[in-house]
Amino acid sequence: MKLKASPSIAGFTLSEMLVSLSLSSIVLAAAITCGISLQKSLAATDNYFSTEMQQIRIIDYLNRDVKRGLVVTTSVDLQSVTMSVPKYIIQAGDPEAIADPETIGMPRTPTVAYTPSGWQVNYSPSTTTVVYSISGNSILRTENGVVTTIASSTDQLVPQSTDVELSNTEYANTSVTFLPIFTSGGAVAERTGTSMYATAYLRNKRRG
Amino acid sequence: MRISTQSFARGNVLLCVLATILVVSLIGANVLLNCVTRYNVASSQVRSWKESLDAAETGGDIAYAELRKTISDPTHAFSPSNGWTYSGGAYTNSPVTYGQDNLSTSSRVDPFYYDGSGNAWYRIRTKGTAPVLGLKRVGMDDRMGPNTRGDSLLRKIDFNYDHFVATYGPNGDGVGQTLLPVSRPQVSRRVELIAAPMTPFEAAIKAGGTFYGLGSAAYIDSYRSTTGSYDASVKTNPSDPRYPDSRSGTVEINSSVATIQGSIYGNLYTNGGTITKKTSSIFGIIDNNVPFSLSPFAMPSTAGWNYVSSPTMINPNTTINPPVVNGVPRTGTPQSPNYYLVTSFANNGNLTVNPAVIGGVAQETYVAIHVTGDIGQNTSSNPTITVPPSVHLQVYFDGNFQTKAENIINTSGYAGNLQFYAISPTDPTVQQTVNLNSGGGSTSGFSAVFYTPSANFTINGAPDITGAIVCKNFYGNGNVHWHYDRALDTEGDAVDYRILSYVEDIR
Repeated sequence: MKLKASPSIAGFTLSEMLVSLSLSSIVLAAAITCGISLQKSLAATDNYFSTEMQQIRIIDYLNRDVKRGLVVTTSVDLQSVTMSVPKYIIQAGDPEAIADPETIGMPRTPTVAYTPSGWQVNYSPSTTTVVYSISGNSILRTENGVVTTIASSTDQLVPQSTDVELSNTEYANTSVTFLPIFTSGGAVAERTGTSMYATAYLRNKRRG
Repeated sequence: MRISTQSFARGNVLLCVLATILVVSLIGANVLLNCVTRYNVASSQVRSWKESLDAAETGGDIAYAELRKTISDPTHAFSPSNGWTYSGGAYTNSPVTYGQDNLSTSSRVDPFYYDGSGNAWYRIRTKGTAPVLGLKRVGMDDRMGPNTRGDSLLRKIDFNYDHFVATYGPNGDGVGQTLLPVSRPQVSRRVELIAAPMTPFEAAIKAGGTFYGLGSAAYIDSYRSTTGSYDASVKTNPSDPRYPDSRSGTVEINSSVATIQGSIYGNLYTNGGTITKKTSSIFGIIDNNVPFSLSPFAMPSTAGWNYVSSPTMINPNTTINPPVVNGVPRTGTPQSPNYYLVTSFANNGNLTVNPAVIGGVAQETYVAIHVTGDIGQNTSSNPTITVPPSVHLQVYFDGNFQTKAENIINTSGYAGNLQFYAISPTDPTVQQTVNLNSGGGSTSGFSAVFYTPSANFTINGAPDITGAIVCKNFYGNGNVHWHYDRALDTEGDAVDYRILSYVEDIR
């Protein structure tokens, strides 16, 4: 019996191999390039989102403190905010805590005083000082010397706060911007396009 | 025999397709997982965190509204029908659920301080809760650093138990800590507000309606009686230590209709007015966007006051001496004055209220008189009220008030010692009036305060006045010299409440 060789399973000719290798190389290269681009895009999007979340956190932190702030001042470059907030909670080292360590973490009962400026509500003879500042790629919140990093990103997060004092009220305008990984030559619009704004009024504004 | 390789080739393609689907699915699942985690943080958790503060502040508004009712509508304040209960010296309400996101809020209100006038200060503690939608999973990172996100650095989410109750107890005072399961993930935030009583005389003139006045040569300034008597030169002498108290002659107008003449050594507030420093001589702040409301004034409860049955009519030369109890003249107290109910105050009535004298020394004596009709009925009326030093007289009247400025004689010179309160008519068509006329060009004036929120107040001539006035519409066309005593801002019963302090409990 003679086996018939089928042309369909015959080997490739050299020219066929070269052509197919070339084509498959092109397709593979395109696929790898696409994959890398997609990966970079995903990373950039993920990074953008992460930084945006930090934007929100900075604003939420600032608003929370400004709302309960007695006094708010901003630096000349608008990148540092200093505020005094009532000492509502007894902390380690406070006179009450020294007298009775069990009181640490507990709230104080307010006291009332009449001053030349009118009535004042106080939780403690002293107040808590809170400072927001930038250090490298991090945004720091310092409360009575204790530093907390509230945001950190290589995307150059920049918060700017302006304290506006009117005759009958006071508020702080805050904007936070950053520079995403993907840029087009550092165009200004790339930073301004990420702007997030917030306004918080001082609920404990004191006059006199 | 023919050997076919087709089936092997088909299997190879199938494997390739399955592998491709697997890879694409893994990529898709990874993207989806990332998206869901981010969505949970950005949409659900951030939203809930913000909404819970909104709920807490809503609870504060609810409690504040109830607190205001203690003055404007006491019988319905903190009513059980609105879900309020009183226990252990505090009012609490059952949680109120509202909004399409099912936010809930509850409040606790308790007095913590009483000022010199006996007015209570309240502490309002509220809790707002917002459910966290989405999967019951954390997907967050507490740490903050180059490779960590710090997702839960600020926002505390209760997934299984209320962390606050477990750590600090339901009232946050370290009492009653317990593991309190939550029905679904939630965020709770708590705020503490301090509601302070608003006393009647916080400004020199407060008009709930329109304002016209005063004369072109008139002025309004201030001083503080507790640091010395009035001195007209202080307001232009910044080196005088009393100078800061000399420029609080504030005028508040809850209307855009305001014609300002003369000089105001204080602030000027209108509600939509167009006053500028170019149009008037105002040395303080001008703010044309300060609305306020004046509630009608009702006769306060006389329960606990020392009722004295005589006199009931004020005629010429009527003198009130303190009642003698067990051989001792009764002085009364700010909370429990000697109280007289007067049905008639003659047009030529002349009332003198004397202090209690013990051992030859005049005692601080507190007297309240309720006149159920008018005090002076026409422009020819000249009723007189005389208050010697040591007497603190409060006059409540249901009708109108008409007399000459010089007939209000408060010899102590301290305006807080002579207080007039106009009880608002129950019939809204009745317009109450207070009309003071210095008459004949007299510049003599008076020291007194008027709280007449429903009355149109008119003052003519050029009297020298020490005191404060709260009225509906104000009209004055004389060159009045008006001195507001800053000590008055602690005088009198509360007429409303304001929020003076706001603290968020961030534990």
